Amino acid sequence: MSAPVSGRTVTLTLNGETHEHEVEARRLLVHFIRDDLELTGTHVGCDTGNCGACSVILDGRLVKSCMLLAIQADGCSIETVEGLANGDELHPLQQAFSAHHALQCGYCTPGMLMSAKYLLDNNPEPTEGEIRRAIQGNICRCTGYVNIVAAVAATARGEVSA
Amino acid sequence: MLLKQVRYVRPGTVAEAVQALGEHENARPLAGGQTLINVMKVRAAAPDVLVDLADLGQLRQISRDPDGTLRVGAAATYADVIGSSHVNEARPVLAEVCAQIADVQVRNRGTVGGNVCSSDPTNHLLPLVVALGASMTIVGPEGERTVPAEEFFLGVYLTAAGPGELLTGVAFPAGAGADGFASVTIGRDGTCIANAAASLDGGTPRIALGCVAAVPELLLPGSADEDAVREAVRNAELDPPSDVHAPADYRRHLAEVLAVLAVTRAAERGRA
Amino acid sequence: MSETVVAPAPVEVAAPAEAYKGRSVPRKEDRRLVQGQGVFFDDLRRHGMGYVHFVRSPYAHAAITGIDVSKAMALEGVYGTLIGEEVAALTDPFFELSTPPGADIKDYALAVGKVRFQGEPVAAVVGATRELARDAAELVEVSYEPLPTIVDGEAALAEGAEILHEEAGSNVVWSGTFDWGDYEAALAEADRVVRIERLHFHRFSSTPLECSGCLVEYERATGQWTIYGNHQMPGIGAIWMGPSLRCGLDKLRFVSHDIGGGFGNKICLHPYYVACCLLARKLKRPVQWTEWRSDQHMANAHGNERTFLEVEVPVSADGTMLGFSVRAIDDCGAFPRYEPLGAIIWAQVTPGVYRWRNIRVDFTQVCTNKSPVSPNRGYSRMQHLWLTERIVDIVALELDLDPVEVRKRNFIRADEMPYETPNGCVYDSGDYALCLDRALELIGHDRLEERRREAAERGKLLGLGIGSTLDSGTNNFGQSQLLNPELQFSGNNEVATVKLDLFGELVVTLGTVPQGQGHETVAAQVVADILGVSPDDIHVRPGHDSYWNSHAGFSGTYASQFAVTGLGAVKGATELLADQIKRLAAVILGVGDPAAIELAEGHARLRDNPEAALPFMACGAIINANNAGLPPELDDVTLNCRYVFRPHFEVPDKERNFGNLTLTYATQIHACVIEVDRETGVTEIVDYAAVDDCGTRIHPQIVEGQVHGATAQALGAAIHEAFVYDEDGNLLTPNFYDYHVPHALDMPPMKNGYIESPSPFSPLGAKGMGEGGGAGIHAVCAALQDALRVAGRPIVDTSHNPYHRVWQLLRDPEATRRLVRVEQR
Repeated sequence: MSAPVSGRTVTLTLNGETHEHEVEARRLLVHFIRDDLELTGTHVGCDTGNCGACSVILDGRLVKSCMLLAIQADGCSIETVEGLANGDELHPLQQAFSAHHALQCGYCTPGMLMSAKYLLDNNPEPTEGEIRRAIQGNICRCTGYVNIVAAVAATARGEVSA
Repeated sequence: MLLKQVRYVRPGTVAEAVQALGEHENARPLAGGQTLINVMKVRAAAPDVLVDLADLGQLRQISRDPDGTLRVGAAATYADVIGSSHVNEARPVLAEVCAQIADVQVRNRGTVGGNVCSSDPTNHLLPLVVALGASMTIVGPEGERTVPAEEFFLGVYLTAAGPGELLTGVAFPAGAGADGFASVTIGRDGTCIANAAASLDGGTPRIALGCVAAVPELLLPGSADEDAVREAVRNAELDPPSDVHAPADYRRHLAEVLAVLAVTRAAERGRA
Repeated sequence: MSETVVAPAPVEVAAPAEAYKGRSVPRKEDRRLVQGQGVFFDDLRRHGMGYVHFVRSPYAHAAITGIDVSKAMALEGVYGTLIGEEVAALTDPFFELSTPPGADIKDYALAVGKVRFQGEPVAAVVGATRELARDAAELVEVSYEPLPTIVDGEAALAEGAEILHEEAGSNVVWSGTFDWGDYEAALAEADRVVRIERLHFHRFSSTPLECSGCLVEYERATGQWTIYGNHQMPGIGAIWMGPSLRCGLDKLRFVSHDIGGGFGNKICLHPYYVACCLLARKLKRPVQWTEWRSDQHMANAHGNERTFLEVEVPVSADGTMLGFSVRAIDDCGAFPRYEPLGAIIWAQVTPGVYRWRNIRVDFTQVCTNKSPVSPNRGYSRMQHLWLTERIVDIVALELDLDPVEVRKRNFIRADEMPYETPNGCVYDSGDYALCLDRALELIGHDRLEERRREAAERGKLLGLGIGSTLDSGTNNFGQSQLLNPELQFSGNNEVATVKLDLFGELVVTLGTVPQGQGHETVAAQVVADILGVSPDDIHVRPGHDSYWNSHAGFSGTYASQFAVTGLGAVKGATELLADQIKRLAAVILGVGDPAAIELAEGHARLRDNPEAALPFMACGAIINANNAGLPPELDDVTLNCRYVFRPHFEVPDKERNFGNLTLTYATQIHACVIEVDRETGVTEIVDYAAVDDCGTRIHPQIVEGQVHGATAQALGAAIHEAFVYDEDGNLLTPNFYDYHVPHALDMPPMKNGYIESPSPFSPLGAKGMGEGGGAGIHAVCAALQDALRVAGRPIVDTSHNPYHRVWQLLRDPEATRRLVRVEQR
């Protein structure tokens, strides 16, 4: 075991691409993603880990990236909203969100999409209650969640308009 | 929101972790971080060294002993507990309660050890481990020791796992699993305003009340009858804190109602 | 005139050439937002930029006895600091809207000499990284001498109360009385007089998920500031900031692209923006400030808190309400800023939805040691409408009448529209009775007693309540003169430009500042219908930029007005463009009269011979690059049209406080079913119905989205959300743990219904409708009071009823019953 460090080079994979970067030990993963890797789709909405706007999938698990240090993600694989679309083709969830007006200002949307993706990756036929539970950690102030739930349910049913 | 400078180390064994915690005066273990990172954001506590337990796979294990004791590693996440067949067979209330904590993201990271070691009076697992008569395994420079749950909590953010020590596991004695939990929370799956856990195993009920004092309040009423439970709560002469969610008298009232509800649920589970 | 529609049409994608108004077309904004490609101010980077962290007061009220920034400056990576003394030297205090004593308040970008609310910024530190700025802020040493705190509006008025602003010499910001009709006659005529001692509307806000902030650049050569930020009303922002910074308004360029919600909480950002402007100039580098969540809760803006005293309601025995009288105390926090406009804005809806003619309001606004307020969603009307709804339900309770019947008896009727209220506001259209019937149908009113019985078996008390709101939209700023006759504000305006570019591209710029309302999409629908193209053919520039020359003094997104002013401007500009295209085409195609030209399918063509068609691209090319030989009568054809929409208002009558204060009035009638646990006071909203009437719906899905969101905010405020202070002025709910907003599992099932009563006064018959959420608060209070009728008939006297409050009502119903007295006459 080496001595404690106040910073180090972190190597991680993000949306399939490998990144290597110097980082201070205290740097939150969300700031690393936004400021150091310049992927600004993941957002900050609070300072106590409640709002979920920073949600990403880390080594296959949905987490809040403001509640992790970047240094903890060394060697990990991360998925963010920028990895959902396939070139110009939007992910079914992205299409459904638009079709169902599941976003207004769009600020909670990246985190919301990651939570929805995580749900459908693990539970392809969720009930409405399970959908709400899946996004319970994502605050939205614009939509009241109604259309978000509808969009996720529609995606699960394979009903996504082009 | 932004942390102070800190140093970070990721030991490969429990012994290394204990060593690191002992070597640096203001070192803290980092498990799920769902409390510690918040505390550091607000700069209420600023450890000098974070000892990341991520590589200590043995601390995530959940197992059953031959005598039926359920052993939950301190670094088992709430998600691990919820998905564990051992837990669901031996002490399903644990899974039920972990499933009420916050949200998916928190449950993927937050740990049993973190929940009890942060000793926040509103945490879910504090009254639960006390009511279930769990024992807490602590590893320090002098070796390993166990502390009964009811002696583990010393105050707000203060437990028997002192500086230089590491909680490694929580063990629940074998039983029929006649356990119950009840709470009133700020919104669905929110922070507890009041909570209570009860276990009817072995005849005499054990009831633990959270949120009403710095540490869980253990009650041992003579029977599981509603009157006996209410009397036990009243005799405890609770002096709960007042805050924006509950004045003291409301908390005191909820404690009584939830104690009864926890016992009722424990009885139902016992019959099931 | 009204039709009932149950649900909006789903999104349609393929668009044949027919009208787009009324269709829920796919939103233009979505593609970038779902990919995380929205551009929010914190996404921007500038070379060499510094990050700002504000040092804030821990005290609610204290004299600043010293500030020492030397240790912060010594930290490597710190670019500089700013303190109040500098601000006082470099800027003039922000212009106050009130008359004396409020007029004499001195408000600066940083605290000068004294702090007046917890979290008030005292100094700013700029560092090379966010973390460095934060570290350095801790090294700034500020010494304070705490002073007694005032945390209650009534206490602020008490004899000998500590004065927050010495220059004003009083905690009163503004006070006045309003007296319409003949209240004394109403009293004389009454069979009963219902008196309510005290009602209280609490402090909360819509807490948009994106916090406030900006990135400011200063260009030394020209003295030009560019502010990339999320100010939702930059026209007013500039009016405050220009005189303060002693610069012309054109030197303040506001740019926004995507904004993560505003809800009125991003209107009073000017103090922070001025601090950042000063820093950008002083440090000769771009500076960036991001507000933290706890900053937003403590030190940005709250909604107005209002106490209603001595409410008096003369009524007939049959429940006809003859009028009301009230003494209101509005607590606007430590600095007025947009206030005291709240002291008149409620008068847009003086009688609510009811036919009262005799109304007397004694209104006083005071400063306290709490966060300043700003026009939070529903601004000032929500507080007042809550009062009217409480009155209706309390009167019904006391007179043993059905609240539904009392409402129907007192509603303004559809056949009375347009309806002039006692103070001269003109309600444009609406059918409240129809909305109520629809809401009751959706909520299953006929099954109420059955549901009550079933709930009782489970140990729950069940109640049903109704909440009515009017979302008055498109302000006449002349109402400010009723508060202060010296103010030079009146009317309203909004701007849009539409151009046909060289290669035929249609480009629109808006003066509005959208924060999620879909302006790009809806504007394109309007343009498409006028020009005979598809919304996909139209590029609407995202956001706002004052360099576009597409803004005016009142530009922004607030006061429920986009559908009227924003779209009015778009319509006006597009009609100008259409006219120009037709005039050009008439000449090119060799016909005399532009009326012979129609615009369809992207062409200007002869009505009688569609083969003779000029594509828009040709028009654009001719005017822009190939204009030789055009006749002089086409000199003014530029195909680049700017239009200022100006609603026609008069300055209100200052003697009588009389006149039309808003152009449109959207209706919301909501119904709520609540269950209360008898033992614990824990409540659950088990059913909810919302019926809305915002006139013509341009994009029904967007309208519904607004209803959902506003309702969620209302339900949050009704049960969980409150900015609570202790007696020392410490904010107890500075984060999302303690200030609990609704999450997905907290929401009840919601049923939505619509009717459309087009406005006769707006360009498209549409009405603004973004602020209708208050109905949820009124409905929850009513449902609670209904549920608790069997438990001693307590009065719900506050807008915020968390579980412990409900338990208190169950435990001691007499405490609130004592607030109400009924006098028989």
